[in-house]
Amino acid sequence: MQTTLSPQSLGRPGFRSDLGALWAVVRREWTIFRRYPSWIIALLIWPLIFPMMYILTARALAGPDGSGLNVFIQTTGATDFIGYIVIGTTVWMWQNIVLWDIGFALRNEQMRGTLESNWLSPTWRFSFLLGQSGPQIISMFTFFSITALEFGLFFGVRLNGSIWMILLMMLAAIPAIYGLGFAFASLVITVKEANAFVFLIRGLVMIFCGITFPISILPGWMQSIAKWMPQSYLIHGMRAAAFSNAGITELLPDLLPLLGFGLIWLVVGYFTFLWMERRARRTGAIGQY
Amino acid sequence: MEIKTLSQPSFRTQLRALYVIARKDWKVFWRYPLNAVSNIFQPIIWITPVYFMGKAFSTNGQALGFAAYSGTGDYMSFILLGTVLSNFILTVFWGMGYALKSDMDAGVLESNWLTPVSRLLILVGRTLTSLLTTAITSTVMLVIAGLLFGFKPTGNTLAAFLTAIPMLIGLYGFGFAFAGIVLLMREANTLVDVSSFLVQGFSGSNFPVQSLPSWLIPIALALPLTYGLDAVRGWVLQTRTILPLNVEIVLLIVSMFVMLWFGAWVFYKVEKRVRSLGTLGQH
Repeated sequence: MQTTLSPQSLGRPGFRSDLGALWAVVRREWTIFRRYPSWIIALLIWPLIFPMMYILTARALAGPDGSGLNVFIQTTGATDFIGYIVIGTTVWMWQNIVLWDIGFALRNEQMRGTLESNWLSPTWRFSFLLGQSGPQIISMFTFFSITALEFGLFFGVRLNGSIWMILLMMLAAIPAIYGLGFAFASLVITVKEANAFVFLIRGLVMIFCGITFPISILPGWMQSIAKWMPQSYLIHGMRAAAFSNAGITELLPDLLPLLGFGLIWLVVGYFTFLWMERRARRTGAIGQY
Repeated sequence: MEIKTLSQPSFRTQLRALYVIARKDWKVFWRYPLNAVSNIFQPIIWITPVYFMGKAFSTNGQALGFAAYSGTGDYMSFILLGTVLSNFILTVFWGMGYALKSDMDAGVLESNWLTPVSRLLILVGRTLTSLLTTAITSTVMLVIAGLLFGFKPTGNTLAAFLTAIPMLIGLYGFGFAFAGIVLLMREANTLVDVSSFLVQGFSGSNFPVQSLPSWLIPIALALPLTYGLDAVRGWVLQTRTILPLNVEIVLLIVSMFVMLWFGAWVFYKVEKRVRSLGTLGQH
């Protein structure tokens, strides 16, 4: 009797082997993350001290008698200026961390000397990037929880809205935030040095997206630029969900553009990756650094 | 014939070593011109949200709440001056520790340490170029930010400059102590980032310390930097100072001597320990 074997190995990749590779990358990143416990200290400290500098400046602007605060309430409609600032600065930190973590994911592999050998494996190469995002998203949601906890405990920030609506806004932002990170990662591999680009992108978010102020206060031309940045919608929507008890209907004007930008950035991120992959094969850039 | 070489150190050879260190750093800095551009625009980017936030707290362009604390409603001049001083504080305070760390990573620290040059002089040498480049980039930053946000000095700039000198010299003491910690810990990035943020924050680089919550004010008042920033602003912007200006200047001069002595003491203590452990070459 003759038995015909149909070997399914990594040398003949299929959907299952791709999933296996993706899972391996996720596990590796999770192991690396746990190996450096100094991250725990950073996770506890940064959510507090970065917004604090803006909060203390806002406190000074409010004045001893709160006269400035009344103007702020009239301008923004927000009674809790601390919560208002915390949401803006946390979104900024999210984008900043994604740029460093996901944006430099391939570059770090290149520096460690493992990118070229990984590239030779018969796997879906985009899984190298996608796999890094899983643990990163988990660590970011831990970061958000710690932020909420710390500002609730130390500054008395209380949410008036639904936690589910806030979560919905954040989930809707994932494609845009990480899509930008994917595009960025591919560019970093190409240009090798990208600190200046990180400074540029996070600077744009800082200036145009209203992390500490309402966008309506910006000059008209700056407001036009802000409309093209998904982080503007995320910050606006999260503030509405957290402090104005906005429901899904009120959030739609922020949710729809956010999802639209998410789709665009995912497509841009994926195609930038494919372009980089082709270019790297042609020029041998993967092994150079 | 008397031969004068580095192995027979004299005042002249020490000065020459200082010059060589500064020249090397100058060359390295200008090899990466994007760094200079970044040094100019980074602070502007960071204070832009404060500019617009200030507008949300202001009536007819006047931040009256801010004026009640500081004595001036011109919050942008207040913050810009704080940003320039913070640039210098960063250069002196953390620059030496960072320089040691980068020498460790480049693998040249041990060989530098074998040269017959005073260790403190090596540290001071690493700040000379950065002081000059900080002066250049901060001036350009101030001009650009002045055009964008407005910068209106109304007082005595020369007196402010003279007041800043003991503050900066005193910072060298802090810098020596911090460099010692870097030698010992070998990895101090989180420590640097967090402590620089806190020190700058609590010394009032962006706001008058009087506006801090009452339980944080003692921390601010314990930092000599607080009086330096306050006095310089008092001279340039004629803000209301925490203590009379002459008292703040005396405090700065006294703390300058104390910090220099304390910093050098900590550094030599740690350096001796690191030498006995033999961990200088490790990173």
